[in-house]
Amino acid sequence: MIPTLGRTLILLALLAASGGALVGFATGARPTRAGWLWTRRLAYAFAGFMVLANLVMEYALLTHDFSVSYVAHVGSRSVPTWVSLVSLWSSLEGSILFWGLVMGAYVVVATWQNRDKHPEYMPYAVGVWLLCGAFFSFLLAGPAQPFATVASPPMDGPGPNALLQNHYLMVIHPPFLYSGYVGMTIPFGLACAALLVGRLGPDFIRPLRNFLLLPWIFLTVAIVLGGWWAYEVLGWGGYWAWDPVENASFLPWLTATAALHSALLVERKGVLKAWTVTLVIGTYLLTILGTFMTRSGVFNSVHSFTQSAIGPTILVFLAAALIFAVVLLTLRVDMLAPEGRLETGPSRDVLFLVQNLLFVLFTFTVLLGTVFPLVVEAARGVQMSVGRPYFDRMSVPIGVCLLFVMGVGPALPWGRATGQQLRSALLPPLVGAAALAILGLALGVRNAWTMLALFFGGFTAYVTISELLLPVRQRMRSHGEGFLEAFGQARRRGQRRFGAYIAHAGALIAIVAVAVSSTMGSSKEVQLRQGESTALGAYSVTFVDAERVSEPHRESTLARVDVSKNGRPVGSLYPRMNQYESQREPIGTPAVRTSLTEDLYLSIHNIDPHSRTVGLLVMVNPMVGWIWIATAIIALGGLVALMPPWRGARVTVTERAPVGAASPEGSS
Amino acid sequence: MATAPTSEAAPPRPSRLNPWVLGAGLAVVVPLLAVLVMNLGRDPHSIRSPLVGRPAPAFSLAPVGGGAPVSLDSLRGRPAVINFWATWCVPCFEEHAALAAAARTFDDVQFLGVVYEDEEPRTQEFLAQRGSSYPALMDPEGRTAIAFGVFGVPETFFIDARGQIVDKYVGPLNRGTIAALIARAKGGSP
Repeated sequence: MIPTLGRTLILLALLAASGGALVGFATGARPTRAGWLWTRRLAYAFAGFMVLANLVMEYALLTHDFSVSYVAHVGSRSVPTWVSLVSLWSSLEGSILFWGLVMGAYVVVATWQNRDKHPEYMPYAVGVWLLCGAFFSFLLAGPAQPFATVASPPMDGPGPNALLQNHYLMVIHPPFLYSGYVGMTIPFGLACAALLVGRLGPDFIRPLRNFLLLPWIFLTVAIVLGGWWAYEVLGWGGYWAWDPVENASFLPWLTATAALHSALLVERKGVLKAWTVTLVIGTYLLTILGTFMTRSGVFNSVHSFTQSAIGPTILVFLAAALIFAVVLLTLRVDMLAPEGRLETGPSRDVLFLVQNLLFVLFTFTVLLGTVFPLVVEAARGVQMSVGRPYFDRMSVPIGVCLLFVMGVGPALPWGRATGQQLRSALLPPLVGAAALAILGLALGVRNAWTMLALFFGGFTAYVTISELLLPVRQRMRSHGEGFLEAFGQARRRGQRRFGAYIAHAGALIAIVAVAVSSTMGSSKEVQLRQGESTALGAYSVTFVDAERVSEPHRESTLARVDVSKNGRPVGSLYPRMNQYESQREPIGTPAVRTSLTEDLYLSIHNIDPHSRTVGLLVMVNPMVGWIWIATAIIALGGLVALMPPWRGARVTVTERAPVGAASPEGSS
Repeated sequence: MATAPTSEAAPPRPSRLNPWVLGAGLAVVVPLLAVLVMNLGRDPHSIRSPLVGRPAPAFSLAPVGGGAPVSLDSLRGRPAVINFWATWCVPCFEEHAALAAAARTFDDVQFLGVVYEDEEPRTQEFLAQRGSSYPALMDPEGRTAIAFGVFGVPETFFIDARGQIVDKYVGPLNRGTIAALIARAKGGSP
């Protein structure tokens, strides 16, 4: 019964999506009221069927209905209810179903918000969204069917992937990632609509930017949650390994970040339209490439799903989307004529361009490193992997350059800057740069790249903070307001700008934290018998005892490790090894003591409760906690920029003085 | 808001093909797709087992439902197919019929199932429901699975008449694959 109901809903969603796509494109070509009405209705219908299908699957998971193939695959009577609930995205078919849910939600919001706006673009945009929706419905109807009927249902199932059960981060990471990935469909549709119409007007760049910003926030958080999960679960003490699946999520983030910046130039100056549209389309294509990388089994990764039959199907879709994009761009890109001119010479405009080129260079670098092993294997039949050295060597200089641009760009005025302006813009922040560099030197930083990151980080911090406060100071001066009132007013009136600089602050903290944590850490591996201690840095750790804990779905062996810092006891840590039913390899859970300055990280290699010995990896990782904090700041900045402006007041502050005017920076 | 036809600056320019965009697009898209297509059949998880080409690890396991233990030595002289499986593994259901049929077809090949991380009553119930044509062996504590380097089920080893592992297959088998791999196991025998 349930399988049939589920399959029916999927088919209805497929029908609504493909019908809506057809009507949407037809209405785009020959606009009619009825056409637009039906495009919207079918979009809502698609979303509705997807929501219902997801509810049906949740019902099946919670009632352990093993006649549903997906439940037979990932369900188990022995797991807690919350595990059953989130099993929806624990394996391939369910995650694509969940994908449909997220897609539906986005389509409803984007369609509803623009129901009586942008009449010439919107039918095309909805058409593109529903075309993508139709593809994923098709996957669910055929190659990745979650609602297949199991003829003779088993009594019990194996339970979901043990990694999912092992840590709560794995529960929240996928929804964020899907919200980021799937959400990129919306700006993709809008960009395609702009190309199909042959125009990208100033009114249309705003929804494009906002619907790019929303999934960008999710994607940012998702990438870092993935890293955090690796850090808290995988036990090797790092948060990023340039694994193909990590790269798969990073690639669209890079192009989306570039597009968010170039969209600003489209809005302000009417330039870089074609470039921005290309970046947005590229972002979506990279999410599909990422989906292919995660789901096809072509790439080996700790994060990927096991091999499945949907690889070829996704590849066909990817090929179709790529060809569609190239053809569309080829035919229409010339119609997106620039309305202004980009300044040359030292100016914020040019730094925007440099920033964009750096992001695109970064994208190609990571893409090349990710795909290169496949090229070698196809050509020579040798298995190889492009290791971290390549990625680290390439990404460190690009990251430092980006940090530099993030500081210098906002410091420069729009338009051409005079020598005097350059000096007054660029000299004061050197104070910040020197301060952070000297601080680093005092704390023992010797690595040249880390020093450079600190130097530029200090520069950028100075610029970012003074840019954040610039409108506040302007208000205090011109309106005679107190600091707090001026701050509130300025934030309200220049919300997007305010959000952008908050995000910059987060980004610069993240880059500095990555630089410091990856070069300033220390670690050792030890084998300890009961009662033995080892010291690392200021810490001393003592293996006190091993104990076993039984839970319905797993058996764990815990090591109690007492920690003291500078001779003073600071508590106990319990790194553990978990043995799940139906999984041979035990999964460790490291124990991390996080503080603002550094983490103490303990991970068990092996533990023997009988002979009471433990193999322990002990690490001191400086500043890692700041990466998580920085991400929250970036996300906050994104949200602030996204929030609707108060009372419709959209008063931009007088930006960094226009050419000729005195720079307010000179007085600081 | 902007329901009225737009009042945007430039009138649209006519559509025309931009060769530069086309060239750049194809330069990125074609090689990328080519590489992905060429690698489609690849399984990165099948890092070639170091056991292939070596003698199979020795074992002696009791069959499900009781009886004399079956050992590796007792297989010498004819090719063998050793399938690691479990009742809780869905792909194992899928290949069960194909394996049972192949065991009847190739009567010069010894088929063995090794039960991975499962209980004997459940296994018996499974085999009673779905039928079996070759012995299923219990592997208490998974020692044999460890010796064979089994990572997840189903995994199937094809062993020639001299007891050398010729192939390892990860994932559910179908009839065609079984026949092809048995042919290789036979070809390997003198």
